[in-house]
Amino acid sequence: MITAHSLTKRYGASTAVDNLTFEVPPGMVTGFLGPNGSGKSTTMRMIMGLDYPDSGSTLIGGKPYPELTWPLREVGGLLEAKAFHPARTARNHLRWMALTNDIPLRRVDEVLDQVGLSSVANRRAGKFSLGMGQRLGIAATLLGDPGVLLFDEPVNGLDPEGIRWVRHFLRGLAAEGRTVFVSSHLISEMAMTADRLVVIGRGRLIAETSVSDFVARSGGGTVKLVTPDLVAFTSALTAIGGNVSDGDGGSLTVEGLTSPQIGEVAAQGGLRIYELTPIIASLEDAFMELTQDEVEYRPSTMAGAAAAGAKER
Amino acid sequence: MTQAIQSAPVGHYRVTNVVKSEVLKVLTLRSTAITVGLTVVAGLLVTGLVANGQLHKFPGYYQGFDPTQNSLVGLIVAGLTGGVFGALLITGEYSSGTIRASMAATPKRPILLTAKIGVAAVAITAFCELLSFAAFFLGQAILSGGGAPSASLGSPGALRAVVMTGVFIALMALMSFGFGLMLRSTAAAIAAFVGVVFVLPLVMHGISEPDLRYVPTNILTNSIMSTVNQQGPGPGQGGVLQPLSPGIGLLLMAMYAAIALAVGGALFLRRDA
Repeated sequence: MITAHSLTKRYGASTAVDNLTFEVPPGMVTGFLGPNGSGKSTTMRMIMGLDYPDSGSTLIGGKPYPELTWPLREVGGLLEAKAFHPARTARNHLRWMALTNDIPLRRVDEVLDQVGLSSVANRRAGKFSLGMGQRLGIAATLLGDPGVLLFDEPVNGLDPEGIRWVRHFLRGLAAEGRTVFVSSHLISEMAMTADRLVVIGRGRLIAETSVSDFVARSGGGTVKLVTPDLVAFTSALTAIGGNVSDGDGGSLTVEGLTSPQIGEVAAQGGLRIYELTPIIASLEDAFMELTQDEVEYRPSTMAGAAAAGAKER
Repeated sequence: MTQAIQSAPVGHYRVTNVVKSEVLKVLTLRSTAITVGLTVVAGLLVTGLVANGQLHKFPGYYQGFDPTQNSLVGLIVAGLTGGVFGALLITGEYSSGTIRASMAATPKRPILLTAKIGVAAVAITAFCELLSFAAFFLGQAILSGGGAPSASLGSPGALRAVVMTGVFIALMALMSFGFGLMLRSTAAAIAAFVGVVFVLPLVMHGISEPDLRYVPTNILTNSIMSTVNQQGPGPGQGGVLQPLSPGIGLLLMAMYAAIALAVGGALFLRRDA
């Protein structure tokens, strides 16, 4: 369990993280979503005790990070793509880390095997591709078999296979009961990986909720209809309360009606349907909608959003 | 999920854990091998050339000749590569991001800093002592082989000069480590080190010559490596003051290193990683 309470970090006149309060529960993947520069990395660095907050606090299992007795056995963090010396071999990188926390050196080979780097264990890490470097970073997080894991943009720069591997990996860690906190600016990626979301914009909390609720909250629920009977459909659907607008290529976009309702209208009126597709609002739509309004969020509304998130748990 | 690892040892990580880790770090870097190798080769090569240059002179040349200083003076070059090594030990961690991994592994920064400085100090001092003795023996072998006056460790002041030269160069490298802690960039730290140790004397030559005796390289050659006192106490001829005594000179260098490490260390503890 990770908790952040009223976390604030300023750099000169600008506020990178602004009174941020949230929780990351165990047993699921919590996505940390926000545009570039919204304060995700800064927040994660404060959780790991690397940067000092101006006010507020972060706790891991109830303790501030510097108070952890064996940090690598409790928390694994991947905060930058290549946090290893390029001249050191992968194995030696993990060996120095293991020594700091009295972790048996056999774990080094175990985690290298786990991420598929056994064959390049004695190669200098500076020669690694981005994907291999990322795997080494992930191996480092697993070294102490920690219950809490943080990953900052873990799929950045990975190829599709690598992205899939990471996604699968994160879900596996959460399924083992661990706390997994993953930041990303890639909404589609979070939609597939995360169970829960902490969404921030300009350092402020926008939402803390489940992925499905987040999508549902943004409205959505439109249906795409492709038909040659555009005029007849428009009047018939408008008559029963639909909000119809012209889509592209001879299609209609219908708001406020479900696919079955539209099907009934077609059957009664003898109208032809070529295609009928419910458009579920994507996480992306929800995100764009919320972050566009971000500047209008006042502290009181933010507290409301946080409270709403708390109730859902 | 392996179960064995779940049972963490009792207590918490200690400075000994970090020391072991820092030793491994030093030993597993190519830059260690390169800078150490370069220091040995350059140091001994210059030592050999300097000694060789003193051979076959007319007899009067050897009036006041200091064979000990002569065999050690080539190590000024080692002072330069040693400074690069000292800076790289810490700036390499910043440029690669390893420092963040270190701080995440052992977040109590005073413990991390103690281990880092301790390992650097012991490793650098041991190495510089070996080098200093090697230079002395090489230099004396060349001098005596060529019929020039030579010294042994038993000669007055010779052992003191050899031991102190090793410590002094190690302190220079540690000062550079302090610059590395402060500046966090390899280029900036090396520039600061070269500026203070090699450029500052040139500048001071023009503005305040008497104060040259407080500059590291001058202390090293005139106070530490020297075994003969060319001048009497007080101001010498031409207003040039007598060099500092070896003890005061070494103390002053220790102070320079301590100040650099203290300022760098304070920033290390306070600053965001």
